[in-house]
Amino acid sequence: MNGKPPFYRRYVVVAVACVIFAVAALVQMVRINYTPFATDLIARSENYQGVRKTIYPPRGTIYDRKGNILATNQIGYEVGIDLKFVSDPESIAFAAATLFDGLDYPDVYALASTEKRADENRYFVLSSYVSKDKIQELEQLDANYTLRRQETKSLKPSLSGLVWYPMQQRTYPEGTLASNVLGFYNYFSRENAQGVFGVEEAYNRLLTGKPQTVFMPNDPYLVEALPDIEPGASLILTIDREIQKMLEDTLQAALDWSGGEGGTIIVADPKTGEILGMASTPFFDPNQYWKYQETFPGITPYNRAVGTAYEPGSVFKVITMAAALDSGVAEPTTTYNDASGVYWVANSWPIYNWNYGAWGVQDMTGCMQHSLNVCLAYVAIDLLGEELFYEYLQAFGFGRSTGIDLASEANFPLRLPDNNQWMEMDLATNSFGQGIAVTPIQMVTAISAIANDGRMMAPHVVRGVVDKGQQYNVTPQVINNPISAEAARAITEMLAYSLEEEASGALVNGYRVAGKTGTGQIPTELGYTSTQTNTSFVGWGPADDPQFVVYVWIEKPTISQWGSEVAAPVFRDVVEQLVKLMRIPPDNIRQQIAQD
Amino acid sequence: MKNQILQAYKQAPWRIQLQWIGLFLLGLVLIASITGVYLSISAQAATSGRRIQYLESQISTINNEIAELTAELAAAKSVDSMQSRAQSLGFIPLNPHNAIYLEVPGYNPHADLVLAPPRVNIISESPTVLSSYRTSLWEWLVSNIWQTPTGDAPTEGVQ
Repeated sequence: MNGKPPFYRRYVVVAVACVIFAVAALVQMVRINYTPFATDLIARSENYQGVRKTIYPPRGTIYDRKGNILATNQIGYEVGIDLKFVSDPESIAFAAATLFDGLDYPDVYALASTEKRADENRYFVLSSYVSKDKIQELEQLDANYTLRRQETKSLKPSLSGLVWYPMQQRTYPEGTLASNVLGFYNYFSRENAQGVFGVEEAYNRLLTGKPQTVFMPNDPYLVEALPDIEPGASLILTIDREIQKMLEDTLQAALDWSGGEGGTIIVADPKTGEILGMASTPFFDPNQYWKYQETFPGITPYNRAVGTAYEPGSVFKVITMAAALDSGVAEPTTTYNDASGVYWVANSWPIYNWNYGAWGVQDMTGCMQHSLNVCLAYVAIDLLGEELFYEYLQAFGFGRSTGIDLASEANFPLRLPDNNQWMEMDLATNSFGQGIAVTPIQMVTAISAIANDGRMMAPHVVRGVVDKGQQYNVTPQVINNPISAEAARAITEMLAYSLEEEASGALVNGYRVAGKTGTGQIPTELGYTSTQTNTSFVGWGPADDPQFVVYVWIEKPTISQWGSEVAAPVFRDVVEQLVKLMRIPPDNIRQQIAQD
Repeated sequence: MKNQILQAYKQAPWRIQLQWIGLFLLGLVLIASITGVYLSISAQAATSGRRIQYLESQISTINNEIAELTAELAAAKSVDSMQSRAQSLGFIPLNPHNAIYLEVPGYNPHADLVLAPPRVNIISESPTVLSSYRTSLWEWLVSNIWQTPTGDAPTEGVQ
């Protein structure tokens, strides 16, 4: 015996072999981590560990000013084929082609019969945002197939592999109502979905919230609660849906009656700048936003109220007269002798009245009442002068955007005297709303200053934001004081008196309102050769305490070319219903209540 | 003496075996205990993980149902739907000249809609957690043993 246990050498050999194997395994493990395949291997291993998923927070709800929902989310379903589980491609193809529009049997069959590979998960989307009704039909069919399999004790028919997942989709429960203000959300492409037009676009980031990508492990030991994902912020609009509905109905009726090509009606609160209603044609159902091109062919604006600049015509005389009164160059009693019915600009270009007639001696109220172009040209050129006139126009906000919180606001720059193309004729025509392009919202903003004692408020459609459980209300902002309160009240009185004297079609029984008609000629390439016009009316009331401004624009009416015959009656129709919806009593009752 | 003890062990070798067996069993029990605890905790963790997944799924389902019901309610309360229901119930549009106007003190028809509490910047000065839960042992010793208590007993949170 040499002192070593039996089989000593064998033990040593086995031990050395084990050590060599362990070292080799260790070396290989280290080597693998530094080979070019390491990244690929790590990525593959992650596939087995779980899935990385982007969670999209629900898009914020949009309410009207009274809390009625204008836009929210509902459930749609994504239907797809998970190849791992497919056992009966024929049944899947039959079910999909029968239940879902746009799916053909051969196409679905080809997808469901795709060769399976062990090393990859293959999933094909068949249809997105399928309705709940369709899914219920699918579930019923699946249940029927299960029964049949049990009866026949076979593996077919089977919808195994046909899967559906719920997902939230945008819905507008009021249909076309306020669609021109709301815009739409193109949710079909989830990764690239965004708000388009209106508040959906203007407040897209707030409404969307912050999507988060989270890792969802397969290993139950590693599962953690998902992070709290805040839904997108909700918006409370200044829009009143009853007023909006009334405006859209009235506008449609007005277009049917007048033969107008399009139109806009805006109702605003002059004291806050809140837009209470904004109707614009064509009307559009954002629930079917993919039909956008059919409704808005070519360059048709989505919302004429903010997206179209046009020559407003005589409604603009309100601005010219307000400037004259505020600057002190004229008073309501200042007279002008319209002896010939023509005003010569720089002794070269004639300006005529709307009826080419001469109206004799008129005070400023008469000039506004009869809408005399020659008188307003005289006021702009001889009394105000170019410098003062354009200063006032800029003070009223013309030539720049109003900054309303809606997407795609148009703006047409002012042609000012320092521009080489400017002529004195521009000053004359601008004074009565020709040769200058404005948007309806610019007009409403400017006129609101007159209805609000000279304070011009920032127009806006969002009244409050609800985010992370807290509400942030928008504070009305004064953006300028273009004229004094005295001048504002004076022109309001002039225009209220003018309507009464004219027995205008805009008068509203029981309510004293101020306003002005407008008939704007539409320029062509050859000048003002067309007989087509833009008819407008801007009015506000009650005259002693204005609570609303209403702007009506009917484009190219066929029944008449005059604003007094087309837009003024529409204004009356709107105000008659508006006072009910705004709970404004007739003047005599309101004044009596105020006295008590 | 030392030799006597060694002699005694040599005379009873089963004692050494018993000692090894005891040690082995002790190690086995220890390992079994640790394994049992580990398995128990692992099983609970796995169950909790699956429970979390289930609850997340439930939350998602409930959120979807809430969204669906909200959309259905909004459609049922849409202006067209309400108008047609009002007409079917015999309501007619108001004529403002036939209306009776009442002044209701305190009623503001133009009041802001409140969907959530307004934003508050003021940080609450009254603590929500009792001081006894926020005081460390060291602070308690300092204030109650080494320094003379200042008199009044703390009444915070006591009604």
